[in-house]
Amino acid sequence: MKEANASELRLGRQNFLGKNSAQVLKESRVAVVGLGGGGSHIAQQLGHLGVGEFVLIDPDIVEDTNLNRLVGATQQDVASGARKASVAARVIAGVNPGARAWIETKQWQMCAVALRSCDVIFGCVDSIGERAQLETTARRYLIPYIDIGMDVHKAEEGFFLGGQVAVSLPGGPCLRCMGIVNDRALEVEAQQYGAAGGRPQVVWPNGLLASLAVGFFVQLISPWYDVLDLPPLVEFDGNSQSVFPSKKLPYLAGRSCRHFAGLEDLGDPFWSCPGKCLVE
Amino acid sequence: MKILFKITGSLLSELKAQLTQPHQFASERVGFLLCRVALIEGGGLVILAHSQHDVSDADYIDDQTVGAMMGPAAIRKALQVAYNRQASMFHVHLHEHRGQPHFSRTDERETARFVPDFWNVQPDLPHGAIVFSEDGAYGKCWIPGREDALDITQFTVVGIPTRKL
Repeated sequence: MKEANASELRLGRQNFLGKNSAQVLKESRVAVVGLGGGGSHIAQQLGHLGVGEFVLIDPDIVEDTNLNRLVGATQQDVASGARKASVAARVIAGVNPGARAWIETKQWQMCAVALRSCDVIFGCVDSIGERAQLETTARRYLIPYIDIGMDVHKAEEGFFLGGQVAVSLPGGPCLRCMGIVNDRALEVEAQQYGAAGGRPQVVWPNGLLASLAVGFFVQLISPWYDVLDLPPLVEFDGNSQSVFPSKKLPYLAGRSCRHFAGLEDLGDPFWSCPGKCLVE
Repeated sequence: MKILFKITGSLLSELKAQLTQPHQFASERVGFLLCRVALIEGGGLVILAHSQHDVSDADYIDDQTVGAMMGPAAIRKALQVAYNRQASMFHVHLHEHRGQPHFSRTDERETARFVPDFWNVQPDLPHGAIVFSEDGAYGKCWIPGREDALDITQFTVVGIPTRKL
């Protein structure tokens, strides 16, 4: 059976996402930056959905300590020193052989030009600083940015597990507006630079947050129900096993973002006559 | 060469609201989108619209053979805006129907005549012209260093929803 027909059959049960949803998804170019615990789930789900083009960025190789949460990775990947981005590409190809995946194994800042033509960027990075930089890049190229993050905090009475999914759109509230990025957090992070150590991570919150993020993505590019007023920030309380729109949202309502106020801050800031280089 | 054009849903709505305002004698309106640009992988371009520049009522010429004809003052003001704001300029108008719009012969002739004039004030930037319909778009882009205009490959409206035209 030809791949086009096979793909049509494969996606038949998700036709409710819209008459042209399969085509819309196929024509989407999506970046997943960070393919560890969260990003591997996202890449897998986007592969199942039928997204046609991927930019998969992660410089890391699979380690034994990743196997408690990295979807698709195996002991053999640990032994062979496989790249996390390659594992994600393999998982996608396994369910969606027609998809094209560009694998980047550098730091994303070194290959950021690959992000410029993406329709959506998923940020699954560890640090607050990287989140802020990635969002700035997305805003500069008018790309919706979906960020996921989870954390485990130790307190006297035990551990608290939480996380969030944030959707940052041009003109809408940004990660700073939502309180995810702030100067204090950046300062603390900078002081700990190089001594981060192994942070607690576990599979199911990653899977849950990734699923929510993919849900936002689908509603963004192929709305399948009437509600277009997506909450830009949802939070997960892992101790009560609950997900809810952030309590910060009422404070953001009606306010415009002052951190990315200048819509003119777009494009290549160092553009200087590359046009003549474009002559074929 | 891939040429992508991106505009936010809110800016496109504002633009369409402006372009559908009635005029004393012109049967359609025209305007300009101010843009920034960047290279993309494979040597293509992404053009990013950030604001619009309206053509004043007084700057239309009464010419009933076409939908709208800009006078020299309209072009002069647009050139000034391009210079002051270091903008890549895209001439815009609207065909009020659904489906894929196209340039008329007049659009082809007139845009080829005046769009390259923007290189007099911003020689390093691409400039162009776009016609929108209710749910589609078609456009051409003039790139520094080459005389012929290239079709814009893809239009994306960014917002909720984010969609391709």
